[in-house]
Amino acid sequence: MDPYEIEFIGENRVVSIIPNFTYEKIYLICGEFGPFRAGLPMNVPLWLAVMLKQKQKCRMVPPDWMDIEVLENIKEEEKRSRFFTKMPNEHYMVEAKLILGNAPEDVPRASEIKTIIKDIWDIRMSKLRTSIDTLMKSGGNYGRLDHLTMMEINSVKPLLPEAMDELYRIEKMTQKTMPTSLNTSTFSQSGSSQNL
Amino acid sequence: MNNSYLSILDILVTNERVPCRFLHDLPKMGFMDPSAAEDDLKAGATLDVPLWLAENFNSSCRIPLLTVDLPKIYKDAYREILNADACTVDMQKLGQHFYELGCYVAKHDIKGETFRQRFRMLMSASVSSDSIGSIQPLSASERKRAAAAAATERALSGWLQRGDCPLTTANMVANHRKRKRAEMEML
Repeated sequence: MDPYEIEFIGENRVVSIIPNFTYEKIYLICGEFGPFRAGLPMNVPLWLAVMLKQKQKCRMVPPDWMDIEVLENIKEEEKRSRFFTKMPNEHYMVEAKLILGNAPEDVPRASEIKTIIKDIWDIRMSKLRTSIDTLMKSGGNYGRLDHLTMMEINSVKPLLPEAMDELYRIEKMTQKTMPTSLNTSTFSQSGSSQNL
Repeated sequence: MNNSYLSILDILVTNERVPCRFLHDLPKMGFMDPSAAEDDLKAGATLDVPLWLAENFNSSCRIPLLTVDLPKIYKDAYREILNADACTVDMQKLGQHFYELGCYVAKHDIKGETFRQRFRMLMSASVSSDSIGSIQPLSASERKRAAAAAATERALSGWLQRGDCPLTTANMVANHRKRKRAEMEML
């Protein structure tokens, strides 16, 4: 899957904004939102929030987890733990990117938050890589993907499942007996070359 | 691998030549050995024969006509090398279809272990900037996988950089003659 498709899925998450205009309820496929009252916080999907922000019709309210202390804790936890820790949000990367990219002035200490989120992302990605490598080396038959977000799972997508498939096929073929036509000759031959 | 009759990969794999030793005199088959002077193929002749042909030789007669020898990469010497460090082997040279052909001919199996060890190479090939150098020693199927992984990697880094990367001048524009003159006039 393309990262943009995941961004599209992530854009459906509800965030809160403070509009600076008044308007009645709007009816969308994903639900009804509004009425908009200038100055009163309300919830809309992320894509709508970004669109309104770009037209300068609202201020974004950063989500609770987009806070230096919370993120520092997550980062420490992530560093300490051998496993993946639970992220505050299934689409934390998408949300962070869209909110910090479009409304950095609405988030206090936006640049620091940006750095911390990138740190967390980098830690998790390198953890993902090393754990995949150990999984392959140790000969495990399955991997647990607890607490990985969609974007992270997608980053290993064609490689890991295909490699596991191939490994399974190789191992299955090995267990099966050879085709009868080759059976005797190959076996005796390779058997003798074994003893050399 | 995929034993479907029409699978192109399977056709390519079974077209790999394997060393065979003929057990009987085969009349009128001398043309198969380009170095043979006679019309008949003598018993004991060794030839590289495509795997599909070798299989058919044996299955079409009541007695086996030839013995299939192991290709070099599956033999003891290479097995030891693969056991020691699979990443050093240049599959491009030694076995384009190492895993697939191995499923047909090799009895003592190290393919799984080899695949596990070489998986690291796939991962590093997918993120490496030196794509030609890192892809060089991979076998055909590994290359396909590495290319797919690299495409994901590119898409992801493209997504991450979008938005907050500053606009940069395209190379073509920057190197344009008029542009350069303007810069020089400024100096």
